[in-house]
Amino acid sequence: MKKNNNISGFKTPQNYFDDFEERLFQRIEEEQFPKSSGFKVPDGYFENLDEQILKSVTQNNSTEKKKVISLIPKKYFGYAAAIAACLLVAIQVFTFQDENPNIESIQISMLDKYIEDGYLNINLYELTNYFEDSDISGLNIDFELIPEGVLESYIIENMDGTTLINEGFNPFE
Amino acid sequence: MIEEKELVSALQTEEAKEVAFSQLVSKYKERLYWQIRNIVLDHDDADDVLQNTFIKIFRNINSFKGESKLHTWMYRIAANESITFLNKKARQNNVSMEEVKQNAINRLESDVYFEGDELELHFQKAIATLPEKQQMIFTMKYFGDHTYEELSETLGTSIGGLKSSYHIASKKIADYIKNNEISND
Repeated sequence: MKKNNNISGFKTPQNYFDDFEERLFQRIEEEQFPKSSGFKVPDGYFENLDEQILKSVTQNNSTEKKKVISLIPKKYFGYAAAIAACLLVAIQVFTFQDENPNIESIQISMLDKYIEDGYLNINLYELTNYFEDSDISGLNIDFELIPEGVLESYIIENMDGTTLINEGFNPFE
Repeated sequence: MIEEKELVSALQTEEAKEVAFSQLVSKYKERLYWQIRNIVLDHDDADDVLQNTFIKIFRNINSFKGESKLHTWMYRIAANESITFLNKKARQNNVSMEEVKQNAINRLESDVYFEGDELELHFQKAIATLPEKQQMIFTMKYFGDHTYEELSETLGTSIGGLKSSYHIASKKIADYIKNNEISND
């Protein structure tokens, strides 16, 4: 006798029957759950929401621009840049004492004049790019002076989670 | 899908960004709102979190790399903002996250924006007892009707893991409702 073996031509997804019972009992269980959450919204909430959000986003965008406060007031930039440049030169001089004697001939006063005349056109943050790890490895920063709770609060208050999400961070792991 | 790609393209173009964003808000505001509301429970809190979510979306759309779909990226931001909001509330009030959720549940009965019956109230109480991630998975699947594929992309969990989590959550909720029915008899 010929076996009646799927002569209809239909097939099921892979492993369909493997967890069928589990899915079925879950559905039966959920039959007792309410279909609605019970939550409601104020009248007209969604109708007015678009305008509110667009206003909020625009306000926040312009507020964000105003909120950028320079860590160092601009009037001190020149002095700070001068100090940083002197530090850089000093590091180079003391590190490479055996190098080309022309470096030793650069006088600090000439460097001062160069900066005062406005020829130096880089900011402090760019200057830090020139620091090597060895330049700062000797620095002794006592992190214990910063209370843990303060550091944690600062990060939570100021951390932008969306930037982390874009970089692949999963907050649910 | 093509529609979403065009929307992303417009959102990342300075001239078209505002109009495109307006369309985005119109299309997703309700889905995102309910996703958030099911976590934070209170309408005013949900409103705050929703606004924060859209601000974050607007601010970060240029760095959206298209590795996931736009809507799953937005759901993930909304989920993250909801959890951040609750954590912040816990820290500000110097209580645990569980206490924050419990307080929100206790206020539900008298909340003018909750019109659920006794079963719906028990249901919300049961959901609030779930661990954070399980609660997220359950509410997004049950109320939000997300597919497991979408949830997997949003929450970064395997489909198998999600199904397992959902099943466990469902069982816990069923047990909670049953035990509360017995205790109320």
